[in-house]
Amino acid sequence: MRIRVDTELCQGHGRCYMLAPDLFEADDDGYSQPTAERPVPSELADQARRAFMNCPEDAVILTEETS
Amino acid sequence: MTDAAPDSHYTLERPEEAVDPQSIYRDLRDNTPVVQLSGRSTTGTLTISRHEDVMTALRTPELFSSDSSAVQIGNTRPLVPLQVDPPHHSKHRKALDPLFAPKQMVKYEPRVRELIRELIDEVADNGHCNFHNDIAEPLPSTIFVELLGLPVSRVDEFLALKDGIIRPPARSLEERYEMVKATGQKIYAVLEEVVEARMAERQDDFLSTIIDAKVDGQPLSRDDVVDIGYLFFLAGLDTVSASLDCIVAYLAQNPDHRQRVADDPAIIPHAIEELLRYESPVPIVPRITTADTEMSGCPIAEGSRITVLLGSANTDERVWDNPHQVDFDRESNKHLGFGGGVHRCLGSHLARMELRVALEEWHDRVPDYRLADGLELRYSPGIRQVDNLELVW
Repeated sequence: MRIRVDTELCQGHGRCYMLAPDLFEADDDGYSQPTAERPVPSELADQARRAFMNCPEDAVILTEETS
Repeated sequence: MTDAAPDSHYTLERPEEAVDPQSIYRDLRDNTPVVQLSGRSTTGTLTISRHEDVMTALRTPELFSSDSSAVQIGNTRPLVPLQVDPPHHSKHRKALDPLFAPKQMVKYEPRVRELIRELIDEVADNGHCNFHNDIAEPLPSTIFVELLGLPVSRVDEFLALKDGIIRPPARSLEERYEMVKATGQKIYAVLEEVVEARMAERQDDFLSTIIDAKVDGQPLSRDDVVDIGYLFFLAGLDTVSASLDCIVAYLAQNPDHRQRVADDPAIIPHAIEELLRYESPVPIVPRITTADTEMSGCPIAEGSRITVLLGSANTDERVWDNPHQVDFDRESNKHLGFGGGVHRCLGSHLARMELRVALEEWHDRVPDYRLADGLELRYSPGIRQVDNLELVW
């Protein structure tokens, strides 16, 4: 599982860093701190799914890897 | 094939409609997703209610403009950044975002907690209160007046001015327009006086920070600072009060949900998000179209005023599971209680912090409360305050 935030879509609702604080943090303007797409450690998979399911702008992009 | 928007007998302006807007939203979504309501300030305006159409309006500012002609709230210049479109909007928004970022809100939390405790002290031993008058109105308005840098001793005067814009006691559209315009001039006068003083001598408040802010490397004009202040004045003095009213009114009528909040403060942030979704205290945002377009099979002409029903998008069966059920454990909650797109509520992080601290402290002191016997709640149309929220415990 990999995750990133589409910074074009992010409008700073703050749902991702509220629900998935180990994966996201707020920048100084309250938007999700931009990061490159990265793998999600298995213990944080639930947080990743919650962030994905609660972004009003659909800016959290989650990719399930098929191996 | 498209047909012109039908008319509806709904107005969304009558108090009896404001008690249970969710059932009206459902009817609109199912039968008339693009419609002309029959209220006095909605005549000639198209109301859109489906989540898909609401999202399109919020995310397409080049077609669904926030230009100030979209709404009449007493201002003679556009409110910055609310009534300004990109790219101009983005520059001002960028300058203001840091003021309201979550990192800043942490600093204000102790003062919010201190104030809510004082307000609760006044009523806790009485066994009853009017929650709107005693808690929901003074808390956010006092905090906001302090943050902005307006004189706290004049908070009652500011609240009356704010109500003169949002809920003028007018009987006709013309009377409403005149009242709102006259009140707007008084708000400008207050702001110009305070901005003048801060330009001469800065203090530790938002107005001073805004005066020193740079947009494209240039300081803001005096008018820009006043126009930002005007927006803050209206937004800061009403919306959190209405949200607190709606949330506590719901909990007072739903003992299982109230008990859960009282027993487990950790659920409060989730309860807030879910009740902002279901109650949608700020249910409407206005737009105006810049070109001919079409939604849900209905033609929309250039220059049409659009009422965007956030509250309806938040309960649309097309995207939500069991939208009419209030569920604090809802897995997916992409609510638009703070709007969406580039104009997402600037003060949302302040609002969330105030709501959380208020609900934590209230339920710590008064965990078991209900509506006064025989009370029929009075929700105001538009921004949904509940001014007769009489509680007993």
